[in-house]
Amino acid sequence: MTDSKGPLNVGIDLGTSHCAVSASNGQRQVIESYVGWPVDMVARKVLKKSVLVGTEAVESRTMVDLHRPLERGLLKEGSEKDLEAVKVLLRALLGLAGVKRRGKDKTHVRAVVGVPAEAMRVNKQQLRNALEGEVDALMIVSEPFAVAYGLDALLHSLVVDIGAGTTDFCVMRGRFPTEDDQRTLDNAGDSIDELLLKQLREKHADAQLSIFMARAWKEAHGFVGEAQQRVTVTAPMAGKPTKLDITDELRSACESIVEPITETMRDLLPRVEPEFQEKVRNNVILSGGTSQIAGLRAALQAGLKPVGGGKIKAVKNPVFEGSDGGLALAIDAPDSDWDKLG
Amino acid sequence: MSHSSSLKRNILRQAVAENVSTRKGELPKARRRPKAADEPQRSAWRLWLFAVPVLVLLVALPLMRRAPTAQAGPPPEPGGLTMAAPVDPRMDLRYSAPQPIDSDVFPLEVRRIVIDPGHGGDDTGTVDHDLVEKDLTLDIGQRLANLLREQGYEVLLTREDDRKLSLRERADMANEQHSDLFVSIHVNWIGHRGIRGVETYFLGTTEDPELKELARRENRESGYSLADMKLLLEGIYTGVRRDASRQFAGRVQRSLYSSLRQVNPKLENRGVKTAPFVVLVSTEMPAILAEVSCLSNREEARLLSRPLYRDHIAEALFRGIRGYADDVNQTEEKGS
Repeated sequence: MTDSKGPLNVGIDLGTSHCAVSASNGQRQVIESYVGWPVDMVARKVLKKSVLVGTEAVESRTMVDLHRPLERGLLKEGSEKDLEAVKVLLRALLGLAGVKRRGKDKTHVRAVVGVPAEAMRVNKQQLRNALEGEVDALMIVSEPFAVAYGLDALLHSLVVDIGAGTTDFCVMRGRFPTEDDQRTLDNAGDSIDELLLKQLREKHADAQLSIFMARAWKEAHGFVGEAQQRVTVTAPMAGKPTKLDITDELRSACESIVEPITETMRDLLPRVEPEFQEKVRNNVILSGGTSQIAGLRAALQAGLKPVGGGKIKAVKNPVFEGSDGGLALAIDAPDSDWDKLG
Repeated sequence: MSHSSSLKRNILRQAVAENVSTRKGELPKARRRPKAADEPQRSAWRLWLFAVPVLVLLVALPLMRRAPTAQAGPPPEPGGLTMAAPVDPRMDLRYSAPQPIDSDVFPLEVRRIVIDPGHGGDDTGTVDHDLVEKDLTLDIGQRLANLLREQGYEVLLTREDDRKLSLRERADMANEQHSDLFVSIHVNWIGHRGIRGVETYFLGTTEDPELKELARRENRESGYSLADMKLLLEGIYTGVRRDASRQFAGRVQRSLYSSLRQVNPKLENRGVKTAPFVVLVSTEMPAILAEVSCLSNREEARLLSRPLYRDHIAEALFRGIRGYADDVNQTEEKGS
């Protein structure tokens, strides 16, 4: 473990849909959380790789055994293949950030990884096992806490991090958040995709639809509230490309997360000391990829009206806000602390 | 140092401490009474105080069980401690019925726990599409066992795979292993599919027709004859075990409800209840049966299909068990 340049600090946002890394060498990278192994010799010859990661794996999905090894931001259980996929994914991500784990120039890596707010100790231990050998010292924190730390919003704020697998909540009260300060819901990007697909299959029984198509349509056209224009997409029907109007289904799927998120915010706010509740209501921070759905921020803000109203701000860069927060934590932690985590 | 950097430093220190603790497999401990200067002496007193009644009971209990129908003799003295009086153990034969004894006089440390994943083999339990109760209870039981083992408890599962066991075999296993606690895990099915909730049982009778029906379902395949059941019911040492089981059930139910409603906001607290489940009748230690979810409810079925939610259930059960174990240990520290 020799590195004359000193340790490389990294912050990692381990997402169900995307994994992002921010490193102290200036690198910021994001990959889709997919890993694929060629299904047979033919596929291996065509793909010329033994394993594919990210977008490449998704695009080659007909030729690979495709794994999305993170389920709601946590390692899936019960499959050696998924565990291996997580290792491959993290290795690829760290590689993109400039980490070298072989040879004389092996990088000494200190990583802070964000996980869902209510991840259990067993999940954290699994993650530690998966990262063994890939990093030299590891700190695991809740994703919304990492966001709050990165934004210096550690006092009187509420972070709502809407990802693909989970929506994580964290009230910051000037201390390391406890379980009572945090919540995790699985109403998030994936639940929207699943609902959209279900509704479209019910309406267009003959259309050939997949979860990948539903996800892509949500990412391109998702909205909450009044439609600005009708949303029309193309999908095969008995092999023939056919135009489908998905406006109503898309709106209803996207709006399905509004009520649970609003309810959870309203449940958390009364737990704050009464004199600080207004401050927290006016300092709600919205992050995560799914928070980018058009009209969502306004709908959630409207949901705070019955409890006195509030102000919800969206972060500037939802893709890297979590990993940037992790990096800030990694940099701020003194060597003596890292020694305990090695 | 500015207020902001001081705040950051403080929070960072807490984050590091939490990680170090997680790596060591620790959980935040329940607050314990600091040891007093005269602790060794008091411990010796306590040991003496507890040893006498326990020894007397150990001698008396088998004799009492052999003569459950003996009726002669005066009514018992109020208060369990009278049993600790240095009398001829044969005198205890006069006590024809189980007597209530304050469970605080038995502050035995919780070390060995038997977890009983309900159903198994061709006894599937309730089923909703691909979700089968016997699989869910085994999965949750194994998660719970891992959590308890990490904390140094000895854990035995009545089954570690998909096999059929009679309720008698389950109870026998717990008894033969001299387990300190018994936790049977089940998933509920309620006719009204809108209901979702958790409930925890300890042994007792019930007049509720729904609970009678639930007990009848869960007691199917019990392995006991009617004659066995009569003996069991007559032989239950109600006082200590029932009190302890009630406290234990309360701890677990509170933990289940408070933990799970955070991720399942519409969860109902269906409370601590009594019912004559065979596994609770025939086990000889504080025993509970937890209905950890309702498979009949669509939303709960969806949650149960997710490993994260099953982790939450295991963690909630774990907290309840540990809370009860801490209560027992604190009782020991408090002395009489």
